Amino acid sequence: MSEDGRERSPSDSTRWCVPPGQHFAFADFDDGIVVFDARVGSTHLVNATAAEALSIVDGTPGIATVGIHRTLLERLALDERALAFETVVDLMWQLENLGLVARVA
Amino acid sequence: MRIGELSGQALHERMSSDGISMAIPPVTVRVRSPLRFLAEQIRSLYGEYEIVDTRGFADADLRLLPARGVRRRLRPQVEFIVDGVMPFERVPLDHALPMFEWGLNWVFCNRMHHYLLLHAAVVERDNRAVLLPAWPGSGKSTLAASLSCRGWRFLSDEFGVVSIDDAKVHPFARPAALKNESIAVMRAFDAGAFIGPVFPKTRKGDVAHFRVPAESVRRAREPAPIGAIVFPDFQAGAAVEVLPLGRSTAFLKLAGNSFNYEIVGERGFRTVASIIERCESYVLRYGDLPAAHAALDEIVRAAVPA
Repeated sequence: MSEDGRERSPSDSTRWCVPPGQHFAFADFDDGIVVFDARVGSTHLVNATAAEALSIVDGTPGIATVGIHRTLLERLALDERALAFETVVDLMWQLENLGLVARVA
Repeated sequence: MRIGELSGQALHERMSSDGISMAIPPVTVRVRSPLRFLAEQIRSLYGEYEIVDTRGFADADLRLLPARGVRRRLRPQVEFIVDGVMPFERVPLDHALPMFEWGLNWVFCNRMHHYLLLHAAVVERDNRAVLLPAWPGSGKSTLAASLSCRGWRFLSDEFGVVSIDDAKVHPFARPAALKNESIAVMRAFDAGAFIGPVFPKTRKGDVAHFRVPAESVRRAREPAPIGAIVFPDFQAGAAVEVLPLGRSTAFLKLAGNSFNYEIVGERGFRTVASIIERCESYVLRYGDLPAAHAALDEIVRAAVPA
């Protein structure tokens, strides 16, 4: 469990959305992607997988972790050896901790 | 009319009564003070700046007044008052000029949110501005002042004033505050540079002000496209090194050097992205000014033409 009582690891059925009022802006550079969190005015350096996951959640509110994983594999043209489901679970937990995504109640 | 065209006595009289409004683009500042020595110091450092109509709009109305009360004689102090409010503690009376400079920085920083404000010195050559973003102690003021003695245009030693519409940088050309060892370094670097009196033991150490070259003041309404971003890193005795920075790293460093990035919000993000996309970024490590100048000459030569 995390400090606020949430499950440390979301399950494959955990569904995600962006928090109300959230809006992202991206700047894509050769060495990384910078994302602006318009809700709180913070800026984060993320990799392509994280940026794509944010884009997926933003475009498909309520999508489950398993769906995010499947879409990432398609969009990034990867197989499961290159991007394991557990990696996506961990990624979503990190994005949640940054306040960029939230679980659908 | 320029401030320097007034006699010291005339400037003192005007500052003691209605005040004097001076154009320090992009702002107009009205200053009132009965302090004769402050009028002299302002005349020597701001002599090339235009006087504008005192009855017109001023972005800030500043007063520097001797503190009243019993301490007036025992321990004379000065109050900095902006639009009727005193935002800072009093400082020793003879520190009125540094107080004016710091106070004006504070006012600018807190009001000019229609620009993205970077904590950076800015110089320009061949219509390519170089941003020198850094926090105190990196040597950016000394570097900018010394470059302006070697043909570069001086835009600012403290603020990168970036237009949100077109990401051009605007001058806010005011005296460069040299601190501690930098004062002697600049005197040795260029004996012709005008440096005002040394104010010892201020809250930032010993401070003296380098006068902006007249040509830079005359061009103070001319913005410039940004040609390069150089994060100065002065280290005594260090050999010069130019270290290219990746764009995303440069983005975070530049945004982190902004006074109002969070306030400006997404427009600030897009402005920083626009700057980063169009120019290269470097860390410049240096131990002496001539070597740093040579490196910057090379960087601006390689910069994409505006």
